[in-house]
Amino acid sequence: MGKYLVKRILRGLLSVIAVVIIVMVLIYTLMGRDRVFAGDAAYVKLGSNEKEAYRYSKWEEYGYLDYVTYAEYLLDLVADGELDEDTRAKAVGIGRTADKDSELTQEYVQKFTQFYEEQGYTVVRLEAKLQGNRLIKGGQQQLFAYRDRPLFNRVVEYFTGLVTFDNIHYVEEDIQDRGLSFTWFDPLYGGDKFAPAIIGNGTFHKYLLYVDGTFPYIHQNFATINLGTSYTVNRGVDVFTTMGASQGPYVLSTVTFPTGLVEQSADDLHTATYLPGSQAANAVNAERFTDDYTNVQTVKGAMSKVGFSFVIGIIASVLAYFLGLPLGVLMARKKDKLIDKLGTMYIIFLIAVPSLAYIFIFKAIGGSLFGLPTTFDMSAANKLMFILPVVSLALPSVANLMKWLRRYMIDQMNSDYVKFARSGGLSEGEIFTKHILKNAAIPIIHGIPGTILGAMTGAIITERVYVVPGAGNLLTEAINKYDNGVIVGVALFYALLSVVSIILGDILMATVDPRISFSTKDR
Amino acid sequence: MEHDLSKLGMTEKELFSFHDHSELESEKITAPRYSYWQSVFRVFFRKKINIVILGVLAVLILFAYLYPTFSDYDRFGQLLNPNAKHLRPSAAIQQFGFSIKWILGTGAAGNSTFDAIWTGAQISISLAFICAAINMTIGVVVGAIWGFSKKVDMVMMEIYNIIGNVPSILFTAVMVMLFTATFWTLVLALTITGWLFIAAFIRTQVVIIRDREYNLASRCLGTSTVKIAIKNILPFMTSVIVTLLATEIPSYISSEVFLAYIGLGMSEMSLGRLIYEAESAMVTPGWEFEFWSPVAISAIISVVLYVVGQNLGDASDPRTHM
Repeated sequence: MGKYLVKRILRGLLSVIAVVIIVMVLIYTLMGRDRVFAGDAAYVKLGSNEKEAYRYSKWEEYGYLDYVTYAEYLLDLVADGELDEDTRAKAVGIGRTADKDSELTQEYVQKFTQFYEEQGYTVVRLEAKLQGNRLIKGGQQQLFAYRDRPLFNRVVEYFTGLVTFDNIHYVEEDIQDRGLSFTWFDPLYGGDKFAPAIIGNGTFHKYLLYVDGTFPYIHQNFATINLGTSYTVNRGVDVFTTMGASQGPYVLSTVTFPTGLVEQSADDLHTATYLPGSQAANAVNAERFTDDYTNVQTVKGAMSKVGFSFVIGIIASVLAYFLGLPLGVLMARKKDKLIDKLGTMYIIFLIAVPSLAYIFIFKAIGGSLFGLPTTFDMSAANKLMFILPVVSLALPSVANLMKWLRRYMIDQMNSDYVKFARSGGLSEGEIFTKHILKNAAIPIIHGIPGTILGAMTGAIITERVYVVPGAGNLLTEAINKYDNGVIVGVALFYALLSVVSIILGDILMATVDPRISFSTKDR
Repeated sequence: MEHDLSKLGMTEKELFSFHDHSELESEKITAPRYSYWQSVFRVFFRKKINIVILGVLAVLILFAYLYPTFSDYDRFGQLLNPNAKHLRPSAAIQQFGFSIKWILGTGAAGNSTFDAIWTGAQISISLAFICAAINMTIGVVVGAIWGFSKKVDMVMMEIYNIIGNVPSILFTAVMVMLFTATFWTLVLALTITGWLFIAAFIRTQVVIIRDREYNLASRCLGTSTVKIAIKNILPFMTSVIVTLLATEIPSYISSEVFLAYIGLGMSEMSLGRLIYEAESAMVTPGWEFEFWSPVAISAIISVVLYVVGQNLGDASDPRTHM
């Protein structure tokens, strides 16, 4: 069993990698790049060369290509100490056309061209666009190099960057006392309460290990998962954080900042990360912090995207199993009777009617007949708003469970063991619940892990119709906004969940049914 | 040997007599003639409800394909008439006089809702039938090969595991963005991976019956694989395929509505597009007809297609032909 499982998991991971590759090919190679400018107000205003340069800089942000301007190259040289600031200032100005460059500029342009062409970049020089003697709008000369990111590099970079480990050499600037310190008494709790913490200096996160009052109580920041950085959906934030961070109104509490300042604030100081020069740059930060670990997340009152989806999905699934299983058994027992026919009509209705249509019907009925809230409001304490989304998700699953359980039970009803049980004098009720149900439920048990994990991905239509701030809409939103980082991240998340749930389903099935075994020896 | 029959109380007829052996007669099978498709339709029409539903389907399809050619529907024909927009049926009839065109009121551009839903129904039904035809053909052929060959099975299983895990709306989104969002783009988007799931289903069915004893016997007698596939397995699968078709066709109407709703639909005014554009009308008093009419018609078309397909699937199972 163990060996088989390892093999299954490895194959699953390989197929996840393949999924990511296909998704990358789809969005980076096949999808038109010009579409990212469709809703871009800044793009329309730009003209000529500036527009061209803007296109490349945007494409870099969206992850299509690598883009370096000549000015950036010179700045890099300064940073590396190969060039002093004065020379840079002289060399950076390029002429309106190539032959008008000064000698110094020519030398560095030559270096720039050579340096990047060796790496497979295309160097583009746009000469100034003149009208008579004046530059037309946006017609300044441009010099830059770009390179389409090769698929292979992209995939390797993505997977190697998936998990990053924090270390004390993260901070490039000179800081004092690099290292980790361990304390039993977290200074954030005043320094006298028992709360173990590991605090880093020189690391990206300030708190590498800490405890607090929210699930799962012990938090770590040694390893961070990066599924992909968002560009338009939630700018600059990783998909994993977007899905898992709390939403809604800020929750204020009394926070003692490192400087001793006590304030009502929603800042969660445990999440502080390093932002170079941020303490000095900002008066508020200077008042609050003693170092550059100033970038904190805020505490918000409502659940995360995945949280909302999961809660709704799990309640709906539990409800579906509670209703669907007994109804399925009942339909099979009363085959061709009235109850079976009514059940079949219900199943047909939910299978055949477009899902959008019946969700709207549920919404209309729930809203007008029962007076339930039809839209979600995160700040409201009213739990009634959960009812309609849960019902809309549960009723189709009930139909599905009824359909399959009825089918499996009817298939089992003519088995020899049923005839034997009947001849042995067992009552019909006993035969159905103790014998047929146990056999018929095996394929249904296989789907349970999938149902539980699938609840995390959310439901697209239901969440949209009831304005639930869940995870279901993340993918469609990302597609509509061309947020490639999010698309890849979400696709990976979905693929992982589905691979894991199939493996878990197989394990569960093998545990429940001793006849099923995955080790080759037993077969 | 002569006996006096009257003495024994017997007649001539009661005696054994010689019966000639006929080569020709001995080759005939005395079972009643059986035609598969005739039996299918006999069983199908035995249920009165099926005739009714088939009638409804015929009316729906006739309406969807013929009515728009007569009604000369012009969506923006009354755009400039400020009194024609968002009318209730009663108000529309009052304004334009009684005609079948106005029995569902008017939409956002003063257009007839009744005309709009039938034009939309035509597009949606065409989409469903075309997608189903393409996917079922490719799916059944590939699925049959997939089920038969163990080598193909290994490769296809991996492909299925991978493609099945790529969110299908991503394929659709890419197709819609690659080409303009027309009817045929959506056909491409729904068929580019759709056949794979049908093939996987057919593959499982083929695997189940591939190694049954009668096929083993057939193979031992030297029947070629192609003949086994066509003569032994395909007839067995007819009811499965018809049942699958019954769920597939409504599912395309449903997907089209879904895609239109999330903004990836086609530019033609299909039912999905109508629902999507009239969504705000659901909660606006007096505008409800604009929204509920396309919802209702798509629900009715799907249910009718589904029921006809299911019952045809039941009827095509030879075990019901007794």
